[in-house]
Amino acid sequence: MRVSSRRLGVYAVALAFAIVVNFILPRLMPGSPVDAMIAQLGPRATPAAVEAIKARFGEIDQPIIMQFLDYLKGLATFDLGVSVKYYPQTVVQVLSRATLWTLFLVVTAIIFSLCVGVVLGAIAAWRRGGRFDTIVSPFAVILFSIPPVIIALTTLFAFAVSLRWFPVGYAYDPNLDPGFNFTFFGSVFMHAILPVLTLSPFLVGEFQTTMRSSMIVVLGEDYVTMGRAKGLSNLAVMFGYGARNALLPVLTNLALMLGAVFGGSIVTEIVFNYPGLGLTLFTASVARDYPVIQGQLLLMTLATLGANFLVDIIYGLVDPRLREAGR
Amino acid sequence: MGMRKRTLRNLFCRTSWAVAALGASLAFGSGIASAAESVLTMHIEEQTSWVSNFNPFDLAGRRQSTMDFIYEPLVIFNANDGGKPVWRLATSYKFSDDLMSITYDLRPGVKWSDGQPLTPADVKYTLDLMLKNPAVDIVGVGQTVASVEAPSPTQVKINLKAVNSQFPESLADLAVVPEHIWKDVADPVAFKNDKPVGSGPMTEVRRFTPQIYEQCRNPNYWDAASLHVDCLRLPQISGNDQMLALLPEGTVDWIGSFLPQIDKTFVALDPKHNGYWQPPAETVAYEMNFKSTNTGNLEAFKDLNFRHAFSLAMDRKSMVDIAGFGYPVVNLHASGLPPRFESWRDKAAEGDKDAFMGFDTDKANKILDDAGYKKGADGFRTTPSGKPITFPIIVPNGWTDWIDAVQIAVEGLRAVGINASVATPEYEQWRKQLLDGSFDVVMNSRADSATPFQGYYQSLSTAYAGKLTVAAARYSNPKLDALFDQYLKSSSDGDHKKIFNDIQLVIADEFPVVPVFNGPTWYQYSSKRFTGWVTDKDPVMNPENHDNNRMRLVHLLRLKPVQ
Repeated sequence: MRVSSRRLGVYAVALAFAIVVNFILPRLMPGSPVDAMIAQLGPRATPAAVEAIKARFGEIDQPIIMQFLDYLKGLATFDLGVSVKYYPQTVVQVLSRATLWTLFLVVTAIIFSLCVGVVLGAIAAWRRGGRFDTIVSPFAVILFSIPPVIIALTTLFAFAVSLRWFPVGYAYDPNLDPGFNFTFFGSVFMHAILPVLTLSPFLVGEFQTTMRSSMIVVLGEDYVTMGRAKGLSNLAVMFGYGARNALLPVLTNLALMLGAVFGGSIVTEIVFNYPGLGLTLFTASVARDYPVIQGQLLLMTLATLGANFLVDIIYGLVDPRLREAGR
Repeated sequence: MGMRKRTLRNLFCRTSWAVAALGASLAFGSGIASAAESVLTMHIEEQTSWVSNFNPFDLAGRRQSTMDFIYEPLVIFNANDGGKPVWRLATSYKFSDDLMSITYDLRPGVKWSDGQPLTPADVKYTLDLMLKNPAVDIVGVGQTVASVEAPSPTQVKINLKAVNSQFPESLADLAVVPEHIWKDVADPVAFKNDKPVGSGPMTEVRRFTPQIYEQCRNPNYWDAASLHVDCLRLPQISGNDQMLALLPEGTVDWIGSFLPQIDKTFVALDPKHNGYWQPPAETVAYEMNFKSTNTGNLEAFKDLNFRHAFSLAMDRKSMVDIAGFGYPVVNLHASGLPPRFESWRDKAAEGDKDAFMGFDTDKANKILDDAGYKKGADGFRTTPSGKPITFPIIVPNGWTDWIDAVQIAVEGLRAVGINASVATPEYEQWRKQLLDGSFDVVMNSRADSATPFQGYYQSLSTAYAGKLTVAAARYSNPKLDALFDQYLKSSSDGDHKKIFNDIQLVIADEFPVVPVFNGPTWYQYSSKRFTGWVTDKDPVMNPENHDNNRMRLVHLLRLKPVQ
């Protein structure tokens, strides 16, 4: 691989830091899982019930050092513990189910927005200063400054609650059993439309803006002029010579934005009752479900570090100048 | 290029056709169950994902359809009917003369859902399991039960640690489990019990996904003749917002949600079928800490005049209308007796006794003036001995309706010269302060059981003072303690009534806490598919379908599919 040892060292430090913060952060929040559980019982929290719950989860009251050692031991063996909220499911079970849905949502939104954003950005750059550019480009800025929560609530109210074109929640029709059949996948598709549309405007705006500025630079390059001189069609020059080479900054941007995309998916999933990581993190935080919160933060850290790592590699492969600088 | 375009268009056409077909199939989605079956859709708990857990001993993790529907209680006490027993697995019980043991007669011929007979050995096994393992002792038999015997093939005898005529009520939440299944369970605490074997009406978990599950008829249910619902269908619903969004679909039959502006958001959707009844539940009261470390506050709290003035500064109607969306009910009785225990009310403990339960700042000011609480330069009063009175009223962060109510209380108190404020610690912190006594005034509610006794005993007896959150006031009154003791040592209903009358009188006179309102129960229903709903015109039982209400089993047995 083309990644230097210094760079790897940075990743290792970042990971260690994340592991420690991961452990401390949930514990800085007021309240313990046991207390949260008792709180949720409401009128059922009789003195006997409170005692029974404390007896059941007694291990949470261990000294903090012991908890940390247990936590490290668990990490080393990929045992992230048992969820308090979804007891007796393990954190791995809870997270793997949720990850699937979030990945589906986020990847679909990214692919959709990439297609739309890149094309819009490329056209805007091609016709810089034209009517298309003057309308679409400021619109992109507006798009990525609308908070996802507003879009989520608006689309939910308009298309699901009022017009009833789309379902108001879930990942698929609860009456269906998951399986490899057309009805099930169709239902998944229908249920994903609104969440994906909610996640997309921000991404479209971001991609379009990046694509436009990157494309403008590329269009000034000699090989574009040469392409034109060869008498190729506008479309061929625009996409074959321009857009293709302008894509690199968009991809970098994508890696940097992954965190923001997941952030947006939290709100979206809560609003649409979509069973992904966002909804799980939200529920786990409210329930002070330390094991799940830790597991999920770790997962997100790994995802972000992994994405950056991947970009490093891709850059190394694609851009020889960086390869030299890295040595 | 042209070729590819055509394929794409073909694909697009096919997809849109499929989407249309799918839309049609979705529209019929809820009709998947066969017509012959009567399926009742319920919303009884809020979760972001269903986890299969039907372990009755896991209060926090079990699905709320576990008790009653899978595990039937021995006997249910109906709070709306003077606490009268509704016999289920048991047909009667009898205390020994010294009240140190109780013998239950079990209903003959009851079978578990797998066809095995339910015997006293099962009851004994369950209680022993809880005695051996405090982590599953959710009803507290460890504190009350000495030992369990099975003296005959139909009887269970429970020996108590101390005289306790309240024992049967405390056993109301006991889920009897089959010994032949549970004896092989290695860890009863972590057992998920995916395929429950129970004695209740709905034991067969036919379908379970993170988004929905179905619980169907027990093939061996002893009371099958009364059961007209074949399946319970429980969609996952994450919160009020989700519920509000689902309501227009009209697919849920029995709901237990907080719905803001319920007439508009729910009833108006289908006025012919949609209904609700949210009868008042527990009494919510302001409690002053009788062991406060702040000497000025303590002097005031211990003065009956101050407590009376405090009460007169409470704008209860605004608390109900503004803070509580009009759902709670004002409590205007000095005894604080909740409306659901109307049959326990002693006429002697109302009328004159309720003189300090209105909202009257003039009268409050006069009482304080007369009692020597002088106003300082800042407009706030000091105690008769000249010490400052100043306190925050604590209320858990995020409990918006309660916080609004406390705000209204503070306005009233300030209007009569009492320097009160609002503090909103996190729930856990709030709870801790109630237990360790580091607070001055709190807005608090107490849990009731089938009779009003338990609520009063646990919140106002010296025995529990400061030990339970409901006993945060740390009140102690020997006269009251003697009455509580008398009540526990008596097993006759007549005596219980008489003693409880005296308890009400003492409380109305001594005014240890300031009752303000009774919170609502959460119950909405649709009569589109089922009839037999409990309504305000037929208020025979607590209608809520939540896990804290055993009467929901009897409610289920009243329901019949619309023909």
